[in-house]
Amino acid sequence: MILRAILAGLLSLGVIVALGWAVLERPAPVENLPERVASAMPESGVEHPITAVLLNFRSYDTLLEIAVLLLAVVVALALREAQPDRPEQMGLDNPLLRSVMAWLLPLILVVAGFLLWAGSYQPGGAFQAGSVLAAAGVLLRLAGAHLGWLDNAALLRAGLALGLLTFIGIGMVVMLPGVPFLTYPEAHAGTLILAIELTLTLSIGLTLLSLFRLNPPYADDPDDARTQGGPKP
Amino acid sequence: MIGLWSVPLLFALPLSLGILSLLVVPAWRPRLIFIGLPLLVAASLDVLAGLATIGPHVYRLGDWAAPLGINLVVDGLAVGMILMTTLVTSLCALYAWVYLRDHPTSTTFFWPLLWFLWAGMNGIWLAEEIFNLYVGLEVMGLAAVGMVALRATPQALAAAMRYLLAALLGSLAYLLGVALLYGAYGTLSMAGLQEVAANNATTQVALALIILGLLLKTALFPLHAWLPPAHGGALTPVSALLSALVIKASFYILLRFWLVLGPEITPEFTAQFLGVLGAGAVFYGGWMAWRQHHLKQLVAYSTVAQIGYLFLFFPLVTNTGPEAQRLAWDGTLMMLIAHALAKAALFLSAGNLILAVGSPQISHLVGISRFRPMSLFSFGLAGVSLMGLPPSGGFTAKWLLLHSAILSGQWWWLIVLFLGGLLSAAYIFKVFRMSFREGPQIDRSVTPPLTLDVTALILASAAILIGLTAHLPLHWLRLGSVFGVS
Repeated sequence: MILRAILAGLLSLGVIVALGWAVLERPAPVENLPERVASAMPESGVEHPITAVLLNFRSYDTLLEIAVLLLAVVVALALREAQPDRPEQMGLDNPLLRSVMAWLLPLILVVAGFLLWAGSYQPGGAFQAGSVLAAAGVLLRLAGAHLGWLDNAALLRAGLALGLLTFIGIGMVVMLPGVPFLTYPEAHAGTLILAIELTLTLSIGLTLLSLFRLNPPYADDPDDARTQGGPKP
Repeated sequence: MIGLWSVPLLFALPLSLGILSLLVVPAWRPRLIFIGLPLLVAASLDVLAGLATIGPHVYRLGDWAAPLGINLVVDGLAVGMILMTTLVTSLCALYAWVYLRDHPTSTTFFWPLLWFLWAGMNGIWLAEEIFNLYVGLEVMGLAAVGMVALRATPQALAAAMRYLLAALLGSLAYLLGVALLYGAYGTLSMAGLQEVAANNATTQVALALIILGLLLKTALFPLHAWLPPAHGGALTPVSALLSALVIKASFYILLRFWLVLGPEITPEFTAQFLGVLGAGAVFYGGWMAWRQHHLKQLVAYSTVAQIGYLFLFFPLVTNTGPEAQRLAWDGTLMMLIAHALAKAALFLSAGNLILAVGSPQISHLVGISRFRPMSLFSFGLAGVSLMGLPPSGGFTAKWLLLHSAILSGQWWWLIVLFLGGLLSAAYIFKVFRMSFREGPQIDRSVTPPLTLDVTALILASAAILIGLTAHLPLHWLRLGSVFGVS
């Protein structure tokens, strides 16, 4: 056991040294990609370079990443369905928490909307806005609020799929004039990117929230772990 | 523009069908294959036609040029892999359509995962960019892990978890390498890297990380431990897909890296080391396969062994003559394709035999030759290719590798090829010996549906046929690679 730990330690040390060496010895890049991005910005339809890279220049990567997110939920759904028990109602039913939530929730939604909108001219965008939305959902769940429509499987799946489906759909529709996949016409690039981001925000938020909700109940409730170990105190 | 629609359809269509299969009513989920398969076959053939008419070309996504945007590469190697994937996945999907009727709990999510897996694989075959390859690996890998977990037994979940951890570690090592290369050269495009990459410390460390990560994902001995439980324990069509195609994707990326950076940068030592690991895989996998008592575990260990042959490519191609290199390239790709066809056939027919006797034990196959000759025939045909007997694809591949080894004066790889073939024969005949023996255990068997037998037989026949017509695919596969000129 100790020998294994020592070996693992040596291995990690070796990797760290090699990585450090590789970073220090790094040659200066010949290719200046940020410059290329800057010169192509006027054609991108947005004003912020990161959004332009994520949703225009390298939108194919983003499309596949959204597919990975959706895939994660599909696998979680599959594993959850294989377990006999249903997700339990959870959370503290605390009036104070509820009233704080009533204050916080609109604020969170406004922040999410702002982040989404801000993405076109400063850091922000669908991923950040989606995470904030998901955080609102997690808070609601922790506060014991019951979101009935999330238990509607068909509705939930439609919401999860909306972002990727819109993305692929727009990518295909813009091909009609005979240009490659995901080539937005310059005049409408901004609008199309906003439409994609809007649906992505919703789907990303739902994805993250679903991953949280699909956790088996025993992990939700610390009391469960105690009762399984022995008799209740 | 040729391939304007067919190239993106290769990944966009499976993705859309994956989403659709989540949204439609359960009865319609399997039926989507009757929309998807013809369209994907047509798209694959159209891409081949594009290659035939204008030769190797790139597809510019979003109409942005390479270092800024993402390009897809349509060359002989990519198209060959796409056609192989279309053939094997279509037949496995047809098989699953019938097979899963007995597994109602697994059907709900099998179909979305299958479509996503297909999209991920096609994404990898087409990718020209090292980061795009990473994203493709993630799509494919996560779908594959989900499919292993579908059975939802404790063993299946443990195998899936182990697979997930191995795959994640592999991806992370790969991603670190990609980050180093991007930091050093400022480009992610393979064509760009080929121009600017030099032999220095950063490139060496990055390549070491990338190779290590991909070896783990390909399950090359001694990093193979996750493979037998994952491939052997999954549902039969899943096992076939994983063993035939999924592990090939990470090997394919290694091959692409070698084409771009390898010849100048790979030291002789690394190439020989990879060959030695391959030899280890052939011996260890073959030996372990022979020792298994469960039929599908035997087939899974056979995959561990067969992966080894692919890695003989590196020593045969490093610092050898052009003729030896071309033979090594041809032999390795023939081995890859023949193994994909034969292994899918072997898993499917093994699944049929298991359905027939109702037990995964090899010892329960006693007397089955009398009842299920067709399942056994497919198993045997696939076995012929794995053993490397003429006129199969496996034979052609070994013949080409053998010539390459002789030409380059590396006689020691001949031993690997010969002994490996003997070991394969040992474990294939272990199954046959049992099935031809007369015994009291079984006096009747369940008859699996005809579709199951037919799909396995088509795959097994394809593994033989590709050996007879090897010059044609090999000619196409060379297009656009450094070996294409001859």
